[in-house]
Parts: sequence; structure tokens; C-alpha cells
Amino acid sequence: MTVYSFYIFDRHAECIYKRRWLPRPASLKSPGGPELGQTMRTGDDDAKLVFGTVFSLRNMVRKLGGEDDNFVSYTTSQYKLHYYETPTNIKFVMLTDIKSPSMRIALQQIYINLFVEYVVKNPLSPVEHPGGLGVNNELFEESLEQFVQTRVLA
Amino acid sequence: MLSYQSRAALDVLIPSTPCVLSPHSQLSKMSYYFTILSPTDTPIFNIAFGTSKGGGDGIARFRFPDTAQYMNQFIIHSSLDIVEEAQWTNGGMYLKHIDTYPPATAYISAFLTPSGARFLLLHQPPQLPSSGTSGSLGSSSLLGSSASTTRASSSSVAANPTSPQTEEAIRQFMNEIYESYVKTAMSPFYKQGMEIKSPVFRTRVTAAGKKWL
Amino acid sequence: MSTQKASRIGEEIWKTRIDKVNAELVTLTYGTIVAQLCQDYDSNYQEVNKQLDKMGYNIGMRLIEDFLAKSGVGRCANFRETADMIAKVGFKIFLNVAPTVTNWTSDNNQFSLIFDDNPLADFVELPDDGRAQDELWFSNILCGVLRGALEMVQMQIEAHFVSDVLRGDDTTEMRVSLVRYIEDEMPPEDD
Repeated sequence: MTVYSFYIFDRHAECIYKRRWLPRPASLKSPGGPELGQTMRTGDDDAKLVFGTVFSLRNMVRKLGGEDDNFVSYTTSQYKLHYYETPTNIKFVMLTDIKSPSMRIALQQIYINLFVEYVVKNPLSPVEHPGGLGVNNELFEESLEQFVQTRVLA
Repeated sequence: MLSYQSRAALDVLIPSTPCVLSPHSQLSKMSYYFTILSPTDTPIFNIAFGTSKGGGDGIARFRFPDTAQYMNQFIIHSSLDIVEEAQWTNGGMYLKHIDTYPPATAYISAFLTPSGARFLLLHQPPQLPSSGTSGSLGSSSLLGSSASTTRASSSSVAANPTSPQTEEAIRQFMNEIYESYVKTAMSPFYKQGMEIKSPVFRTRVTAAGKKWL
Repeated sequence: MSTQKASRIGEEIWKTRIDKVNAELVTLTYGTIVAQLCQDYDSNYQEVNKQLDKMGYNIGMRLIEDFLAKSGVGRCANFRETADMIAKVGFKIFLNVAPTVTNWTSDNNQFSLIFDDNPLADFVELPDDGRAQDELWFSNILCGVLRGALEMVQMQIEAHFVSDVLRGDDTTEMRVSLVRYIEDEMPPEDD
């Protein structure tokens, strides 16, 4: 299993954390400059795209399946996107290869064991991260790294 | 229980403090003056009350009512040296009866908190109608009558300031106050060494006095 | 979800997933904070109430995450369910008390929490300056905690104490009103 990237969005639709492990799959990349109809994108653009996608998808799913419904993941021919949202509207998103098993539990564990423990409970870390300040927390990053490594090896 | 109390009371009573015992219940009521001194010897709480047990009305009647207010303070403070001596002889917090001030027939019992506050209780038996002239002979003859023995036992705490019953009653009283004192000291708005103005604490002390003395 | 079920959840989490600390430590710590605020604001109790509420708000915004992580409960279906969740799970796991939910308005938007027991206020006697009894809400931090926590789960509420045994009242009662449900925020439009 390969993990491509990981994002956290807060309730203000702000990307407060992003991390990339491997380059995006081929089709998402733009080899040798922008292709037709596609401009060069930065990591920030990626985050915005990801947010837009999960936000729309989630609203759509709720319209179809009721207020409590939520989507878990979607797969394209190139990647699989895993999604977990807390009742506080924090969204955890992970992009992996398409053969990956469901990461919903993994994302929930990242929330419970890493995000809440190291970020939320750290009194020096701000509650909100306005203006793209983002989660800047060594303990969180290290544990996340470790967590993902064990998943990848497994 | 009753008979044990009265017998024990008698043992202590006869030789040491004959004049205290009285056949008249009104006269066997003690007057109490209770003070808490901060570790730096500032009085932070005072209260005067009388015996409530055995039909007492709980009102203090000191022998010299005009001067009692200052005299009691004075007597209590004068016993501080003895408290200081006594506190190292005894591992317990309750030092029992530690001092007597004969001119006012005032007895002092002390209790120390580990933090250095001192609870001092002055107890003064009432003045006898014969103003203390009755000898031990007279007393023992009074004791001989069954009526007075019963009376003494029902209010033995009041009757004799140095009997084991009195000491036990004062121990209970002190312990109860200690508990209330700790609670009061735990209030975030109370600062160590500050005068205790809490009406709740005063009520609790009054209740403890009623219950045990 | 019924009140009984909420009580069971609260009980279960309290027993298995909560690290306990000495109650006196909590009481003394909170008491010291309030006393210090009273001193810092020169016994301006309105200001102290405000500061406590603000502190609570900041706590609530974090505490809700811990609450959700520990309880694993999802979104409440309605405000009545929210009330039970606050009283029987929230207060239970963080303070080991379970206030009574009562006095609902007919539109189900306002309720009262009656506290039989308030660990924050053990041993406390308000200052006898003749004003604290009428002006200081000693446990006002709790109002802020609820406000902060519920805001994070898309509920704007208003909470205030209406009585406190510390003031000599018969009960300690907090009034909680739902102001509105907060809409999802949209990302800012790209230029």
C-alpha cells in the first residue's frame, strides 16, 4: 500500500495540515510543463481542489442519503481518496493507491490518538488556525509519520 | 454508660476540684471562651458560649462579666508559653487541659493543627453561691446524695473541667472544629492568617459546642 | 437517544476511559483562579464573570474534541438530545456529576441544568463584601465551556447561571438557550 498525501481541513474550510509522501500519480502530475487545459498547480492548489471535492461530495451524499450519511472513500483509476469527518467539522483526507483497504478507521485513529492528543490538548497550540497558520507540531508530525509508515509496511 | 461516667467523674472530682460540683443544675453550667490563634499569634476567631448539655441554655456567664472580654483573651494568651512547651511532649494534636489560671478558675485546653494554628478553649465553672468557701468535706457530702450524683453524671462535662469525660468531650469538640476549620481554610477567598469571618464557620462552631459541651 | 442511554454511556466512559485526579486539586485550582481574577479585577465581579466565561469558551473548544474522541458519539438529532448528552455524558465524564435537565420551553430551545453537586464550589464561601453574593457567578466558567463546545458542533448557544447555592439560593441552576444552528463555512472564493 502506498500513501500519497494527507490533509486536514478545519471548520472554517482552511487547510490546517498537509503532507505528501510520494509524488502524485502520473496523471495528476504535469510532466514537462502544463498540458492542454491544465495549469501548473502548487500544493496549495491541490489542497483547495481536495477540499472542494470532498465538500461537494459530502453535501451531495447528505442530500441523497440523509443528514447522517457520509461518504467513506472514492476511487479513480489512479488513486483512492479516504475521508473522515468529525462532528466538529474537521475533515481528514488521505490519498492512497487504489489497492489500499479502507482507511476510515485509520483516519479516525489519527484524529483520536494523534490530533486530539498532540494538537488539541497542547495548551500552547492555538485552537483555531486562521490564515493558513496550520498545525505546526513536532509530536504530531512525528507520530503521523510513524503511523503511516507502519501502515505502508503492513 | 451513665454509671461509668459518674463513677469516673467522682474519682477525679473529689480530690482536685471540689468547689466545682454543685447540686443545682443551673450552677453546674460552664462558660466557654474559644479562640483560634494563627501561627503568628493573631487571634483569628473568637466565640463565647455556655454549656448546652443537661438543659443548659448555651449562654456564657463568666464570673467577671465586665472584664471577661479582655480577661479571657489575656488568660488564653498567657497560656501560650505552656502550649509551646507541651506541643513537643506529645505527638498528638490535642493537648488536653494544659493550663489553669486560678484567680478566675479558668482552665485552658489546647489543640494544635499541623500548620501551626492553635485552638484554645477556656472553660470556667460557675461561681458557687458560697463563693468558693466550701471545702472538700462539704463537697463529698454533697456527692453522697444520690440526687447530686445523677445530676453530675448527666452534665459531667460541665461539672468538672479536668475529668476524662470533659477531656474526651473537648477532644470531640476540637476535632469537629478542626474539620470545619480545614474546610474554611480551603475556601479560595480565605487567606492564611486572615480573621475568619465566615458565618458558616461560626454556625458550625456553635453547633459543635452545643453537641459536645 | 434516550436519557437512560446517555447516562449509561457517561457511566461507562467515566469508569473505563477517564484518568482521575484528586477532586481537591481541581477545586483548589479553580478556586485560586477565581480568587485571583477577583483580585486582579479589583472585585469587579461583572468583569470576573466575563473572564471566566471567556476562559471556559477556550476550554470548551478543545474539550469537545476530547469528548468526541472519548465518547465516539455522533451528531445529536435534536436539541433535547444535546441537553442529555451534555448533562449525562459531558458533565459526567469531566466532573463526575450529572445535572438534571429540566424546565424546557415549549419550542424545545431552552432548558435548565440543575446541579445537585458542584465540585468546583466545594469549600467555597463567597467574599462577604456585600456584593459578591449578588454579582459573582463563581462557576461561570461552565457557561463558557458549554458555549465553546457547542459552537464547535455547529450550535450557537447562550448560557448563564440563574441561581447558585453559594449565594444562598436553594439550587444551582444554569439556563441554556439555543440561538441558532451554524451553517457550514465555505472556502473563500478564489480571485
